[in-house]
Formats: sequence, structure tokens, C-alpha cells
Amino acid sequence: MKKKYVIMSMLAACLLSTTACSDFLDQQPDRILTDDQIFNDKVMIQSVLANYYGRVTWGQHVADWGGLTVLDEAAFCNGGPDHRSTFEDNRWRVYDYTLVRDINQFLKGVRETTVLTADEKASLEGEARFLRAWYYFNVCRGLGGMPIVGDEIFDYQTGMDVTSLQYPRSTEAELYDYIISECQAVYGMLPEEKQINSARANKWVAKMLEARAAVYAGSIANYNNKMTNPIRTDGGEVGIPADKASGYYQIALVAAEDVIKNSPYQLQDRRVDDRGKNFYEAVCVKDNNTEVIWARDYKYPGQTHGFTSNNAPKSHAEDIDNSYLGGVLNLVEDYELVDTQTPGQKSLIQTTINGTYKFYDSADEPFKNRDPRLWGTIIYPGAEFKSIPVVLQAGQLVKNNGEWELIAGELDSKDANGNVLTALNGPKESNEQYINKTGFYVRKYLDETPSAGTRGRGSEMWMPRFRMSEAYMIAAEASFELNNGRAAEFINAVRNRAGVKPLETVTFDNIVHEYRVEFAFEDHRYWDMKRWRLADKVWNGNNNDPQARHRRLWPYRVVAPGDPNDGKWVFVEDFLFMSPNARYFRMQNYYNFLDLGWVNNNPKLVKNPYQ
Amino acid sequence: MKSISNIFSVILLLVLFSGCGKDNFDAPESKLVGRVTYQGQALNLRGTGEAVQLQLYQDGYEKNDPISVFVGQDGTFSALLFDGEYRLTTRDGNGPWVNSHESVTVNLNGHAEVNLEVTPYFTISNEQLSVSGSAMNASFTINQIVPDAKISRVMLLLSKTQFADDVNNLFRQDFSDVTPGSVNLSANISGNTEIAKAKALYARVGVLANGADQAIYSPVVRLK
Repeated sequence: MKKKYVIMSMLAACLLSTTACSDFLDQQPDRILTDDQIFNDKVMIQSVLANYYGRVTWGQHVADWGGLTVLDEAAFCNGGPDHRSTFEDNRWRVYDYTLVRDINQFLKGVRETTVLTADEKASLEGEARFLRAWYYFNVCRGLGGMPIVGDEIFDYQTGMDVTSLQYPRSTEAELYDYIISECQAVYGMLPEEKQINSARANKWVAKMLEARAAVYAGSIANYNNKMTNPIRTDGGEVGIPADKASGYYQIALVAAEDVIKNSPYQLQDRRVDDRGKNFYEAVCVKDNNTEVIWARDYKYPGQTHGFTSNNAPKSHAEDIDNSYLGGVLNLVEDYELVDTQTPGQKSLIQTTINGTYKFYDSADEPFKNRDPRLWGTIIYPGAEFKSIPVVLQAGQLVKNNGEWELIAGELDSKDANGNVLTALNGPKESNEQYINKTGFYVRKYLDETPSAGTRGRGSEMWMPRFRMSEAYMIAAEASFELNNGRAAEFINAVRNRAGVKPLETVTFDNIVHEYRVEFAFEDHRYWDMKRWRLADKVWNGNNNDPQARHRRLWPYRVVAPGDPNDGKWVFVEDFLFMSPNARYFRMQNYYNFLDLGWVNNNPKLVKNPYQ
Repeated sequence: MKSISNIFSVILLLVLFSGCGKDNFDAPESKLVGRVTYQGQALNLRGTGEAVQLQLYQDGYEKNDPISVFVGQDGTFSALLFDGEYRLTTRDGNGPWVNSHESVTVNLNGHAEVNLEVTPYFTISNEQLSVSGSAMNASFTINQIVPDAKISRVMLLLSKTQFADDVNNLFRQDFSDVTPGSVNLSANISGNTEIAKAKALYARVGVLANGADQAIYSPVVRLK
């Protein structure tokens, strides 16, 4: 009897053990794809690459309006004062070796796959390697030289010796050299023709990165060593020897000239009669654009951002939000008067004359005869947006017992005679949201497409990363530094398109100025000021310095019946109360600090100066 | 049955109360105090914004990030630490003195006092600061300590709090072509309406050497 039970239970155990492993609970994960699944499918390969394009937006960019208030281009107007003064030690710091590993896995997969032709493989490899070079460039301009891992795909098994995974930092020069050589290597792999909305890399994009990396490296070799205390580390992780400067400038010039001469792009110049609009379209309109070489593109549905809804003038708002950003006078004054005697320099705006107000015939008079790029970059009082003027009026200038007096009211208020007292758009001194406080709006990136300014839809406005005018500016800068006599030829191509007087001779200050007005809000200014080692001089932290601290310019309409100045406009300049602190760029900001967690994980990493 | 559950709850309470002993440390209680000095004299610095920092390293541990020690505007600093041996050093490139990687070893056992000696580019002495009418007047002596150091700028500062430096101020005027020695400077303050309104007013001068990231200051003087 007992024996029978034992046999039966043994039988049962046998049966169970053979059937228990049915695959009823075994399912293929539907969120993790194997390499085979991806690299045997052309469409999957493309979508993996698309993922990398979505991960390479760093620095100032259109989907982060707050980043545009960090420098001296625009001010925060959304609420109370912004006490920003110093720059953070990790400001716009980029460190993402996960991305590098992912790209390296992609490269391996693409090289081994059998579903692509050799041409297709080359083109995809070129794009992936370009994106990796772009990543390293963004790392290098913030941190200096960092580990170059090549095509290595690191794997960690428990218990292995991690020191083989710890790479020391490269020198700053080595990293720039690597970026340049990668760009040169992929140049032949990438397609020649323009891409839809300039969203993907072609060979001209790689050439532009080569030119920009070279001119950055050249200027660090040049200007860092002209400082009293050059910023460098003993191992060269930061700082480039001065004798390398001319070599880098030479590379930059050759690369930029290649783009100028051989690429299908041109400086967009279609509206001789309206150069302001022409400049706006060259930067901000995708259709038939000849100017933009590479951009972060956005597309509805799914890929949109809120720049237009956040920053539209109140009178033109399509949703609750408006007026988050206000352009500052610091930038506006840098756009020179068209008939100036000193081309290539800023022209100050006169608000007083002989101890009294200077009277202007219209609200836009101080601005409309300036560099047309001002119209394309900033909305100034009386300028049109979507063909409707943007009225900015802080208040009225009235006569009180024979004395001039400034008065102001609530937004959209009128005086007893029905004249506008304060316009709907302000500007007004207030701690509330949705009120302009500087007297200017930002036009660059503001989308004219209907309903682009709503929260629900958002804007498809792209963010140009490389434009044709940068090729000219790099060629001009490199020519100036190499002293080859051709700087004027290049810089004047940009200036002629813009609609300002050509320069006869070019100075360093002219180049600094031209970059500033041409590329405002395009993620150039911060890096330019750093590589020229000008940042600590211009952003010196002095609250009484008109360059270092944001300034405003408010328009007032003269309401004084019987007075010859009745109906005219005056302007009042002041430091901006919204920015109580001047920008203060400390020596330690020339390079980001390394996170000490990275150093703890990898003791071979050398810390940056001042750290 | 009931008594068993009672016993269990008592045991549980015991476990709860006693369980947190092992991984909790007492807060550090040993105090390190000190001054940043030149020839035994404390230096006057910027004391706000974590601008001047020293670093404490403790060797022999797995991680090697330093403990930051913030220096006040009178050159003093303090830190609450665990007992042990530390290396105290200036932060690389930071401060109005010649950059040096030398460190002072501190043996902390309850309390320690340490002076960190540095070589400033300049020092300021004999300062006379005043405000009269629409002018701020300053006369002082800039002593050249490092022979080849150059002055980048001299700053006259007014503040309505006792914190006065290049960033925290009501008024700042920069002078760029000043040479060491006896200096008389005057700034026009008539454009600044807040100075007259201020209930308290403090004054200070600062000298920034070429290539330094921080200025050296005079002691803060209360004017009103």
C-alpha cells in the first residue's frame, strides 16, 4: 500500500517536472528589442537614429525660453525680479557618455547588418559619427578636454577590474582635434544635397562643425594665452598652446570657404525693400529657406514647443500666456544706425538733449533707421507683428504747471479725453505675470503661423544651429586672425545682406559686434564671449555698469495740447528693476566644474581650475 | 494567546527603538576655527556668495571630494567636523593671493585653531573713507606685496548693510589706472538716490589684481 503511494507521488513529480516549463508564462518583452530585431529592419534603424537626434539639444535653445534670459539679450518678465547674477558652475554643462555608448552600439550594428547597401551604411554611419562629434563639441566648449572613448562599447560584469573602464581626460587640443578629424572623416560619407527642413546632417553640416570647432580651438589658443593668468591645467586638459592658433584658424578658413563656395546654401536675400523681414525669414521660416544648414526641427503633432505662446505680445496673444521675455536695451543699442559714421559698432539711443527730453516724431523713430536685423530680432515700439503694430506705451508726458511730468496708469487705460495712457502691452513696473517690463519684445523664433501661440498646439518653429552667415563670419574671423587681408570681403557679405554699410577695415571689435547682432538668441553669445576671454570683462558684476546689467527703455507719448511737441514721443532709460543684479562672470566660469561624483568614480579625471 | 501578542508587541517596540543605532552617527561636534592671514594679519575679503573658499581634505578614504570652508569678509572661517587629521588648502585660483597648492595639516581633537598664511598681491592700509555731499572720498595706501603684480581695478563701495563687496553694494565705482602707494580717490554719488535714503551706510575699498578672481578689501567702515 505504502509502496503504491510512493510510486504514484514519484510519477506525479515526474509529470509535473516535465510539463511545468511550458512557455505559457514566457513572453518576449515588448519594450526591449534585440539587436537582431533592430538591425535587420531598415525602418527600425532609422528610428534609432531619430532618437539620437532628439538627445543632442544643449545650451540656449528655443524650447527653453528661460535660458535666453541668462545673458545680456533678454530679461525675465514673468513675475517678480530675477536675482540672477553669477553663472552656475554647471551652466550648460554636457556630460552624457550613455549617448556615446548608444551611438557606438548603433555603429557596430550598422556596420554588421546585411539589410543595407554599402551607400546606405556609409550615410548612416556618417550621421551617427557626426552626432557623436557634435556631442564632444558640446562637452569640450563647457568642460575642456574629456575622455575620448572612440568606438569602444563598455561592458561591466560583476567583479571585473573597473580601472580598465576608467579613461583619463584628453587635452583640450586633442578633443578639438578629434572633433575636427571625425568631421573630416564623415564628410565623404554624408549626402551632398539639402535635407528636409535641414533636420538631418549632410556633409555641409559636418563641414560647419569642423569650421566652428577649429575657430573655437584657435581662439582659445590665441586669447587664453593673452590673459594675465591663462586658464590651464598642468596636463593641458584645459588650455591650448599659443603656437597652435594659426593652424586652427587655417582649418577653419578652409572649411568655411568650402561651404561658401561649394554648398547648395546661400545667404538668403530675397527682399531688397524689406531687409528686416528678409532676415526674420532667413532665420525663422522653413519654406524655401536657403540659409539654414542644420536645425533642431519641430513638427506638429508631438514635436512642438511653447516659445510663441509664452512670448507673444499681449495684444497678439492666442492663449493665456504672453510676455515672458522682454528684449533689453543692451542688445537693441548694438544694432547700429544705418547711416552711422562708425559702422560695425553700437549706436546709443539719445533720450535727453540739453537737459530736457529729446522728442521723437513717432514711437519707432529711434529704431526704424537701424540695422534691419533689429526688426528681425526684436519687436520694438510700433513695429508690426503679423502685420498689426505692437503698441508699447508706458504712459504719457504731460505739462503740469509748465513742467513736464510723466504719468502712467493700468494696462490698457485711457485718460479723461480718451487718449491711451498706458498700452495693453505696457511696459509697466509690476511683479505680475503677463506684463512686459523692458519696452521690447523678442521677435526671433516668434511663429506667425495661426494657432502656433496656443498651449494646445504649440509652435513648430525650428532652432537653427548652423546658418550660412556663420560660414562667412568664421571665414572673416579666421582671415582677420591670419591677417590675410580678406576679412572685409567675408564680413561685408553678411553686412550687405543685412542692409548696413560695408566696413573698409575690420577690427576685432567689429567681429565681436557682428556675431552679437547676427546671432542673438542662437546659442552663440555665451560661447563666443568665453572663447575670446571677454566674458569676465563685459559681465563684470558691477550693478552700475550699463553693459553688465540689463537696461530698459520705456516710451511715453506727449499729451500737451497747444505745445509744439504734442503727439510726439519721449523715451526714458533706466536699469531694469526686474534684473537688480548685473551679470557676473567669474574666472571659474570659463570652464564648468567637474562633478565630484565623476571624480570619485574615476580618479583619473583631473579637476578643472578654480575647483 | 493575548499574552503572546503582548510579548510580541513589546519585542517589536524594542526592535523599532533599538534598530536605528548602527547606521546613525552623532553630528560632528569638533570645531575648527581660523583666519586667512598675511604676516599674521587677517585679510579682508569678499564674504558673500561663497566667493572665497578653502578646502579640507581627509586622506585615506574611498572618496576624495573636499569639504568646502567658506571664508567671511574679515578673513575668518570655521567648520564643525569629526575628529581626525585634515589637510587645509586654498581653492585653486581662488582668492586675491598667489595661487599655491601647499596645505596646512590640522589635527582636530575637540577644538583646533589654524592660520592659513597666503601671499596677497596687494594689501590696503591707512584707509580713510567718507561721504560728504555728492562725493565719496577715499584715501588709502596700496602696498605692493608681489613685485610684478598689476592693478586691474580699484573699487569704491557703499552698502546699506555691513556686507560690502564687488557684488553686494549700493554703489560701486571702478578706477582702472591706479598705481600702488598712497591713493586719493573721489566718486560722484549724486546720481544714486538710494544713498541718501539709506538708514545705515557702510564703506569699503577693494583692489583687484590682474588675473586674480577676487579683490582684496579694506575693513568695512560704518559711516552712518
